[in-house]
Amino acid sequence: MKVRGTPYRWLVASLLAVCAAFGTAQEADTSAVLNLATNADPTLNPWAPGAVIESNLINTILFEQLTRYSPEDLTPSPMLATSWRAEDEGMSWVFELREGVVWSDGDPFDAADVAFTFNDVVLNPDLGAQSASQFSSIDRVEVIDDHAVRFVLNEPFSALPYYLASFAGIIPVHVLGEAENPLQVATFNKGTPVTTGPYKVSEFVPGSHVALVPNELYWAGEPKLAGMTFRIIPDLNTQVAEAMAGQLDVVTRLSPQNVAGIESTGALEVLRQSQNLFFFVAPNHDDPRLADVNVRQAMELAIDRQAMIEAILSGYGQVASGPVAPMLGALFNGDVQQYAYDPEAAAALLDEAGWTLGADGVRQKDGQRLSFYMPTGQFGDLVPATLLVQQFWADIGIETDVQVMEWNAYIQDVVLGRNYELTLAWWSMPPTADVAPYFSCSAAETGNNIPNYCNEELDAIMDEGRAALTLEDQIDAYSRMQDLLAVELPYLYLWWPDILTAKSVRLQGFPEITASAAFQHSFDWYVEAQ
Amino acid sequence: MTQYLVRRLAQGLVVLFLVSLLTFFLINLAPGGPSSLVDMSTTVAERNARYALFGLDRPVHERYVSWLASAVQGDLGRSINQGLPVTGLLAQRLGATLALALSALVIAGVLGILLGIVAAMNPNRWPDHVVGTVATLGMSVPNFWLGIVAIILFAVELRWLPASGIASIGRGFDVVDRIRHLILPAGVLAFGLMPNVVRVTRAAVLEVKATDYVRTARSKGLRDVKVLRKHMLRNAFVPVTAMLGLITTVLFSGSVVIESVFGYAGIGRLAIEAANGRDYPVILGVTMLAGTVVVVVNLIVDLLYVVIDPRIRHV
Repeated sequence: MKVRGTPYRWLVASLLAVCAAFGTAQEADTSAVLNLATNADPTLNPWAPGAVIESNLINTILFEQLTRYSPEDLTPSPMLATSWRAEDEGMSWVFELREGVVWSDGDPFDAADVAFTFNDVVLNPDLGAQSASQFSSIDRVEVIDDHAVRFVLNEPFSALPYYLASFAGIIPVHVLGEAENPLQVATFNKGTPVTTGPYKVSEFVPGSHVALVPNELYWAGEPKLAGMTFRIIPDLNTQVAEAMAGQLDVVTRLSPQNVAGIESTGALEVLRQSQNLFFFVAPNHDDPRLADVNVRQAMELAIDRQAMIEAILSGYGQVASGPVAPMLGALFNGDVQQYAYDPEAAAALLDEAGWTLGADGVRQKDGQRLSFYMPTGQFGDLVPATLLVQQFWADIGIETDVQVMEWNAYIQDVVLGRNYELTLAWWSMPPTADVAPYFSCSAAETGNNIPNYCNEELDAIMDEGRAALTLEDQIDAYSRMQDLLAVELPYLYLWWPDILTAKSVRLQGFPEITASAAFQHSFDWYVEAQ
Repeated sequence: MTQYLVRRLAQGLVVLFLVSLLTFFLINLAPGGPSSLVDMSTTVAERNARYALFGLDRPVHERYVSWLASAVQGDLGRSINQGLPVTGLLAQRLGATLALALSALVIAGVLGILLGIVAAMNPNRWPDHVVGTVATLGMSVPNFWLGIVAIILFAVELRWLPASGIASIGRGFDVVDRIRHLILPAGVLAFGLMPNVVRVTRAAVLEVKATDYVRTARSKGLRDVKVLRKHMLRNAFVPVTAMLGLITTVLFSGSVVIESVFGYAGIGRLAIEAANGRDYPVILGVTMLAGTVVVVVNLIVDLLYVVIDPRIRHV
């Protein structure tokens, strides 16, 4: 850390700053270096294809976005943008940019960087930028002046400020603008990228660690830690062991099995965070048997989801009534049709729909059997969850042929190729009720609408939500959307899992609401002096 | 002898060519694709754009020919998932794996031979049984489990050794620190390999022990230690050397698991990340490197036979 003036004066100044910032006399240990872990070498570019779990959190610290989530209620709050407003009846959005922001190499940040990030990278179909499909409503970004940009849309997109807070870091045009492919610059992605965040990369040792130091040019002043080290530890059990040995201060994405005992040393606490993430069984709506809503409702009724949460998640989760998680507050509608475990009701519903039990124990109708191909991928708990669902359905006379596939093969064949009749997976979405990319007709066949579900009534409501400019109008539209989604069951909802993070009890200023929000506010992190 | 060497090296090249051919087509025929190009949220259009970007939309045989043309010039291509040259990635990781593999080989070799001799000199008595039990344990306990147990015991409970990594971060090159980081992974790796050495050494020494020349040496009144050293070990070492050669190649695969458990940045971890992530150029690079190691180690072992037992001739 660069120390200006005499060390003594600097120390007093920083202590005063900390006291002022927190209003308490809690002392920060300004010499503390925080140790974190990631499971593989990160790619230090938020838009690089494949920059996912191993890169997301470190990129969130390094690459600031136009907006970030408020740690209180996850609404978009200012980051590189200071204010925003919709214009042209929601067909364009103007973002005023923060002045006085400089990149870590000293170059000023301005509207050209935002225009470059979207026009030349995200919206360039040849680059295949990560999560680009979430921004398909954007036509282009226009520079108004150095500190204002206009997002011109091709359809209303009221959730734009939310999506801009979701792994949408701004990258520097003066560094990447000349590159043949700005997403594949090795010295940037695997070296010391130019960033605007409160910490910057000082060293990237592949396979070992990425070291961060304070960015002395940061617009809000110098952060409160002497640095951070992201250690690359592929095995989650090893990460937990390191944390218990005092060698790691934060471990994200713990599995419920790892949680037991981790708090026993008294040095770590487990946070039960949430995320707009739901597990589901996708029925393939191209299959006429599954296009019948009675069959889908019967299948949902036949699954004891609470028992599955106990068995698979050790209770760390709750039964999902739809895709929108309760963490969304006002936009969440929990008063929708519920499907409490009731195998008798499920059987009755199937009988009513004409699917009667055959001699072989499998229901049939007009020579067709309720027997489905159900591939699953080797990832996390997908296989045991699939096998439990198979059991529940066998109880009401539905047969499933479960095939376990290697994960990459599963994504290619099942997720992209839609080669399945039923399959169990999950969606992790930005914290907004705008779930159109996963449900709309336009996302069927080739987009993220895996079940290929298409319902014009639903599309109309979702369009209404996208065009709604006030929170009240959004609540109204998305409330009706959740009602419809609960009746229609485009996906069979399973659960919203708790996202488990362990952190050192000495680490303070760490928002607990979600991991993304916590890392977007890394400037506020500090370690209590002992 | 020169002729023999030339022939063996030419054979080695043919082997490597076949390995590359087989690997290239197998990994490309396997379902799935590079993980950086497809994940759950990738749309078909994004997938196709990325495939085109990396030339993966071309037919497999065409890609193989261009890979081979670059490979003979020493260019193994670029990692799809990491965007870095494969030769650089291999070079970066090779040192760490060599350090781990050689340490494990030395531990497994020295301990294995010593224990094997102890067992053979006391057949069916208690030292033999103790060694046999240790060897059986080493054979049957899986590496990944022993690794986690070792971490919990030595790093979490006793805090004697670091749990993972190659070196302490933020410290310059420090031999003691490096060795401290090596002890657990090398020890666990060696524990699983040692039983092979023990068994082969024990069998070889027992066999030599029953030969006429050993009986003659004994009857001349030589002390046991001298008989063991001068007459038995040298002859028993041919099969032991063969086993050590075999182990060296197994070390490569063993380090795949160990390096992941101990977060040790070597070739093994590179291999498993590449395989999981379907990073074709890296998988090929690691396979070629492993193939080269096997070819070279086999050659060295064959040459060592001549040194150990002058009766063996290579023509």
